[in-house]
Amino acid sequence: MAENGEEKLIQMARHIAKTLGHTDNMTDDILQIFSNFDGRFREKLSEKLSDEDSRSFAALEQTLKSLDRQISRYVSAGHPIWSDSADSSSFLDSVDELIGLIRDWTPMSGEKNVSACLDRAEDLLQQAMFRLEDEFKLSMERGGESFDVTRYHNGESAHPSYSSDSEDQDKDEDDEIPVAHPISDYNIIIDALPSGTINDLHEIVKRMVAGGYGKECSHAYSSCRREFLEESLSRLGLQKLSNDEVQKMQWSDLEDEIERWIKAANVALRILFPSERRLCDRIFFGFSSAADLSFMEVCRGSTIQLLKFTDAVAIGSRAPERLFKVLDVFETVRDLIPEFEAVFSDQYCLFLRNEAITIWKRLGEAIRGIFMELENLIRRDPAKTAVPGGGLHPITRYVMNYLRAACQSRQTLEQVFEESVAPPSAGDYRKMEDRSLSSSSMSVQIAWIMELLQSNLEAKSKIYRDSPLCSVFMMNNGRYIVQKVKDCELGSLLGDDWVRKQMAKLRLYHVSYQRSSWSKVLGELKIDGHSLKEKLKFFNTNFEQICKTQSTWVIFDEQLRDELRSSVAGNLLPAYGNFIGRLPSSPEMGKQVERYVKYSVEDLEARINELFQGRGGLAGGRK
Amino acid sequence: MPATDYQGVSASFTNFGRSILSIRRDQVHSMDSSNHGATSQELELEAFQRQVAERFRDLSSVDSNELLSVSWIRKLLDVYLCCQEEFRVIMFNNRGNFNRAPSDRYILEFFERSVKALDVCNAIRDGIEQIRQWQKQLEIVLCALDNQRSLGEGQFRRAKKALIDLAIGMLDEKDSNTTLAQRNRSFGRSNVNKDHKSLGHFRSLSWSVSRSWSAAKQLQAIGINLVAPKANEIMATNGLVVAVFTMSYVLFFVMWALVAAIPCQDRGLQTHFYVTRQFIWAVPILSLHERILEESKKRDRRNACGLLKEIREIEKCACQMNELTDSVQFPLTEDKEVEVKQRVKELGLVYEAVKDGLDPLECQVREVFHRIVRSRTEGLDSMGRANTHQ
Repeated sequence: MAENGEEKLIQMARHIAKTLGHTDNMTDDILQIFSNFDGRFREKLSEKLSDEDSRSFAALEQTLKSLDRQISRYVSAGHPIWSDSADSSSFLDSVDELIGLIRDWTPMSGEKNVSACLDRAEDLLQQAMFRLEDEFKLSMERGGESFDVTRYHNGESAHPSYSSDSEDQDKDEDDEIPVAHPISDYNIIIDALPSGTINDLHEIVKRMVAGGYGKECSHAYSSCRREFLEESLSRLGLQKLSNDEVQKMQWSDLEDEIERWIKAANVALRILFPSERRLCDRIFFGFSSAADLSFMEVCRGSTIQLLKFTDAVAIGSRAPERLFKVLDVFETVRDLIPEFEAVFSDQYCLFLRNEAITIWKRLGEAIRGIFMELENLIRRDPAKTAVPGGGLHPITRYVMNYLRAACQSRQTLEQVFEESVAPPSAGDYRKMEDRSLSSSSMSVQIAWIMELLQSNLEAKSKIYRDSPLCSVFMMNNGRYIVQKVKDCELGSLLGDDWVRKQMAKLRLYHVSYQRSSWSKVLGELKIDGHSLKEKLKFFNTNFEQICKTQSTWVIFDEQLRDELRSSVAGNLLPAYGNFIGRLPSSPEMGKQVERYVKYSVEDLEARINELFQGRGGLAGGRK
Repeated sequence: MPATDYQGVSASFTNFGRSILSIRRDQVHSMDSSNHGATSQELELEAFQRQVAERFRDLSSVDSNELLSVSWIRKLLDVYLCCQEEFRVIMFNNRGNFNRAPSDRYILEFFERSVKALDVCNAIRDGIEQIRQWQKQLEIVLCALDNQRSLGEGQFRRAKKALIDLAIGMLDEKDSNTTLAQRNRSFGRSNVNKDHKSLGHFRSLSWSVSRSWSAAKQLQAIGINLVAPKANEIMATNGLVVAVFTMSYVLFFVMWALVAAIPCQDRGLQTHFYVTRQFIWAVPILSLHERILEESKKRDRRNACGLLKEIREIEKCACQMNELTDSVQFPLTEDKEVEVKQRVKELGLVYEAVKDGLDPLECQVREVFHRIVRSRTEGLDSMGRANTHQ
């Protein structure tokens, strides 16, 4: 027993020395220290290999020889080893055995003979690893070939995406165009590689990581998948565009590009990336850090390409007509943020997620910039030529229809305006803030634009020399604004108060029209001391003149036109009826009444009904 | 434009940038005697010229072996960010003045150049990623040869393979146009031969720009019509156009230096660089330009895929290591082993430097991108607003 115990102790000492000593010299030094520590050790420790050792060493040689034979056969095989599952599993077994052998014997490498064997073993391992790497790449590529990117697997059954799960979206596009068919259901995961291949690859990964060749493996994996992703994106019609190219693009082309981008981004974030994540996790199962790193390598380029385009859109022109497409991009990125967060949650991918958020915010800025540009356009719209007949001004129609369309994205816009921390220039907004503290930033924004529009219109009305025509112009445009506001989101944004105020303004313009246009004529119909004959003559001329002028004016809205006519009639007809009723009894006129009264009350009414017809082809506006 | 050309006369011109403003001020004063002393705007603009000059003077004091190192490039980007920040303040303080000719033209042109610079930033980011791929090969070399129990043939073969991959990667960079042409093949790649495949391994890292994109052309586009403002324009704008011109020039130079240092598609440094030395910052910038250009003409750098010091070191180390792996015989002699250990140690240092340097560099390039966007957005906003108050 004592003998045995000592033997064990000595073995232990030897083992410690080998483990601690990185080099043979160090091991010797450590053994020396042990020997000096206890004289009894000296002899034992400096002994040659024990019988047991030499026996097991012989076994090592034997094993290595046989492994060499087996592995070399595979390493030099001219055909893919994985084309035969018996071959591949036998090869893997040999590799396992080799890795195990190296692991078990490395502590004993202080022995010269063992060390020589280990050299041979490591040499063999390297050859096996290179072959594994080749087989890995080959399986990846072959697996990839069997997969057709235009066919997405949906659960158990594989079918083309353009069949049942996409609705009316897809027209019968020419199949020759190498662009993937639009899909509407993104809730699918592709198995980019057949399940069997995935298992094979995972088995290879295990060996390559165990053999210390994990980096090569991960590199081979990422390169191959990255290429697949890039090809997928280009099949989705996505081009690699620089900022400069995007700036120079025709807007209509850019619109098409945005459409394609939206589809591609959805496919990438909802299908391709999660599929890659799953594939990566399966192939690198058990090696989460390698899986995360490889996944990042795979997706990095494609994600950056996707996000770069958004950047280019965000810094592009702020022309108001771009709003709607930029909103689409904004909404797409916003709706994809959860996907970004889900798929890029690990430490390596975090920067991609953050970048997506940055760009999303930048799109919000771009949208605010577009509104600012709209404001500028309204403010700067020159009051050069008057719209004939005081009709609807194109700017009114443009702005109102623009805002109506914009308000269809009310929720998004509210989000965008909420995002803007502080109004950039206090001067512009302060007034508005005081008035509507409770309303949203977007109502403030819209109300502000309405105010700009109205002051621009007021400036424009000044170019009419005829003051009643100013009123007609303001009524027309004001009426249009109210109508456009009333039956849509704009109404609820601006509020009932706002609408009431506008109506009140319209009434003021109405009154002002009446006064400036008719009060003088109406005054002539008062019976006072003056000559009735003169009065009537004067009335006739003026009435004639007004009708002639105002029949060319325009009231685009039928109801308003009727209101206006009947209010004119309501004021004028009774006064006129009264006036001509008095004439026969007047000594001045007497029997000559017939001669001087040019219009009957009915005639007058008929003429009034001819007002605002926009005669002379000067119609102010189609509705 | 040899270096001596301006160094000889630099002294007399050093303060010219300031003097332009001073002369103008004198003239303004002679016309309007009620206004004495420099206005705060004038002081601000002069300070800007001075700060730009000082910063670039500091940058140009770099040792020739540190020029174009990652740390120097980072310093350069810092300088850019500082200048941009000061310029931003100037834009803000003068927001009402940028709507009038000729300031409006200058600032709009600056914004256009900025957009073009954004593409350079993106390309540089790709380039950094490219270097990262090389770094991975270095890592494998280290993995193969560093801290091994013993150095056998297997380890050398592994290292050699990584070195070859590295060489292909760096080569691919130099004539990316020819190799890129083959990239866009279809999914079915059944008959790819072995060589082709090993190349494919590297070609897969693509530029995120289209194949026709060219860094050289982009630089030209940034530099086009970049000429110093005329005296009457300076007068008319109270010197504001000088600040815009200065910032434009700084942008141009920084982008040029980035392209010089870092791999990107169709690099070309032959962009015309000229600015009258009346600006105090012109001397250090032109001297840097000259030094970098000279570096690019050196025999061993002429075909480099980037003048970054670390790239040269990668190339040097890889080359030496390559020669070494070709010359070794097994078993290794003791001398060889010592040599290998030495080389591995050197390679390790290069690897560490690249590994530690690239991430912060990329962040900074991104930051430059973001700041350019932000400053442009702010500028456009304030111009839009100022317009409407007229």
